[in-house]
Amino acid sequence: MSEREGYSQEVQRFLDEEPDAQLTERARVDAERFREALARYASSLPVPGRELDAAVMSVVGARPLGGVRGLVRWLFRPRPVLLRPVLIAAGLVATTALGWWLGQQGGSPPVPGALIAEAPTVLVRFELRAPEAVQVALSGSFTGWDSEGVALSKNAQTGVWSVTVPLPLGEHEYSFVIDGQRWIPDPKAHAQVDDGFGQTNSVIVVGPRGVVRS
Amino acid sequence: MSVPDEVVVQRILAGEAELFRILVRRYREEFARYAASLCGDADVAADAMQEAFIRAFDALDSCREPARFKAWFFRILTNQCHNARRGLGVRGRLDDIVVTAADRADAGVSDEELREAIDAALGQLTPEQREAFVLKHVDGRSYAEIADLLGVGEDALKMRVHRARDALKKLLEPWS
Amino acid sequence: MTGMRRCAVLLAIALVPATRVGAQDDVRAQLLARGAPTAFADRVAQIVGAAAAEDLPIEPIVTKALEGWAKHARVPPDRVVTVLERLAVQLRTGRDVTVAAGVDPAPAVVAAAAEALGRGVPAADVQAVMRAAPSAEGAATGLTVAASLTAQGLGTDAATKAVRDAYMAGRPASDILEFPSVVAGLVAGGVPMSDVARRILEEGGLPLPSEPGRGLGRGRPSGIPAGRGPPDEPPGKGKGMGPPTEPPGKGKPSAP
Repeated sequence: MSEREGYSQEVQRFLDEEPDAQLTERARVDAERFREALARYASSLPVPGRELDAAVMSVVGARPLGGVRGLVRWLFRPRPVLLRPVLIAAGLVATTALGWWLGQQGGSPPVPGALIAEAPTVLVRFELRAPEAVQVALSGSFTGWDSEGVALSKNAQTGVWSVTVPLPLGEHEYSFVIDGQRWIPDPKAHAQVDDGFGQTNSVIVVGPRGVVRS
Repeated sequence: MSVPDEVVVQRILAGEAELFRILVRRYREEFARYAASLCGDADVAADAMQEAFIRAFDALDSCREPARFKAWFFRILTNQCHNARRGLGVRGRLDDIVVTAADRADAGVSDEELREAIDAALGQLTPEQREAFVLKHVDGRSYAEIADLLGVGEDALKMRVHRARDALKKLLEPWS
Repeated sequence: MTGMRRCAVLLAIALVPATRVGAQDDVRAQLLARGAPTAFADRVAQIVGAAAAEDLPIEPIVTKALEGWAKHARVPPDRVVTVLERLAVQLRTGRDVTVAAGVDPAPAVVAAAAEALGRGVPAADVQAVMRAAPSAEGAATGLTVAASLTAQGLGTDAATKAVRDAYMAGRPASDILEFPSVVAGLVAGGVPMSDVARRILEEGGLPLPSEPGRGLGRGRPSGIPAGRGPPDEPPGKGKGMGPPTEPPGKGKPSAP
């Protein structure tokens, strides 16, 4: 495709988010038009909703798992699955989650007030701008106030750390933990409250439609 | 918090089939937008996603690396979306839409019209260009991540995305 | 305790069968597994046991204890114990207020009442919310939301009126759970909190977002599909692992 018909190389590099792309005014107009059109398209796109989940499970529930091969594997798999090394390697976070699942099976859950997988949950995204931090974690009522918490991932370019977590409906108290030491409230939370220990916890209330923040 | 796919898959294969719901939810959330754009229609996308999940469940024991469930499922879903789109036949002639837009260059364009136009433009692309473009500009993923999902090198991906953008540029000119 | 040992201990706890382990043993075991000193764990267990014996809800106390231990680098154990004892007193007050309202003191309701009182909602307003709610669950939700709205800065009058009016208009608890997000969205859109409060007090009630999955104006719910923006899983480390097994379905042609 000739230069005339397509975008200039600089615009292509800019849209690829190359750090040293330089744009003329004309090229900038092209690029912004592209971005705006796509942003509008993406945000207005109707997508399959959560009713899909139940539809899939109603079909899948009636099927044998993996056919005959699956059945044979199931019969001979060592039990309990929990003690396999891969699960310990998966880390404390996965272990805690299994504890919650087991709590759901019956008996007292090992982490009181913890997430129960069957309650309806909503994905909630947490973000914190902390370009200097080496490690950022999320600790709160929904993690049983585990000191290690849920790790966030860093966007190297923007210095913003983020994670998306399924939370049950209702109120949750939490804090970010930076570098394992500093407990920092979430500026975007619904409210900040005294934790009783002289520090501040953040509060969000999760409704069925998600969380809107300030 | 996310329990790793590997753990969920292994427990499903050990007999707890109901845990598949976790993967359904997780990857519907992850790929719904991608499927809707690839199929050009939310209902068609829902059918394609449902079919993809069912196939994934049936073949779950052949997923050799449970930790890579996401990329494995992605491949199944993409196949279903391409099939679904093919089944719909030619969707809107791009020329018609471009002419219409030029007539109405001064009028505002509704979201629906823009969607139809972009969908028609995407329909003109090869399946590989369409996949890469949607992952890049509808989902907002990085090239590194797209490379991982598609199993294709970043250079080849950039070429696909550049060509797709060029195809759209022509379309977007009447809408300034 | 090393990571491995801690994992093993937690797994052992996780595998404890369904025979009833006392609530105080639960929290004690949890704290010890996390490396807390025995004296502290014992004291916490004592407080929890005493609360349980009085039929007070113990979950808030247990959660607070775990939080206190998580923050132990900054918070001395004695301070945590004091906070827990104060919390037990607050729960007792919550129960008294609930009973005085003629409402059944279900644990969730008592806990929510205690929290609301602790956040400065007057007892009379707490009772009014409870009575307006259609069920115990609704009462707990309503009180929690009123407490949050208060902490957001709405003022207790507006906070409790918003919840009460909603219940009296027959709105379900799920609508009420949206209120903190609605308020945050309004404020993000530039409406001063005092105006929001005035709107509630004079015009009655809070609006709801008109479309599912979307906040008001600029506010964007973070519950939208994760297809937007970077995902929570890191980009695959699988470069050395080779491509995934070809799944069923048509093969992919390798075109440029």
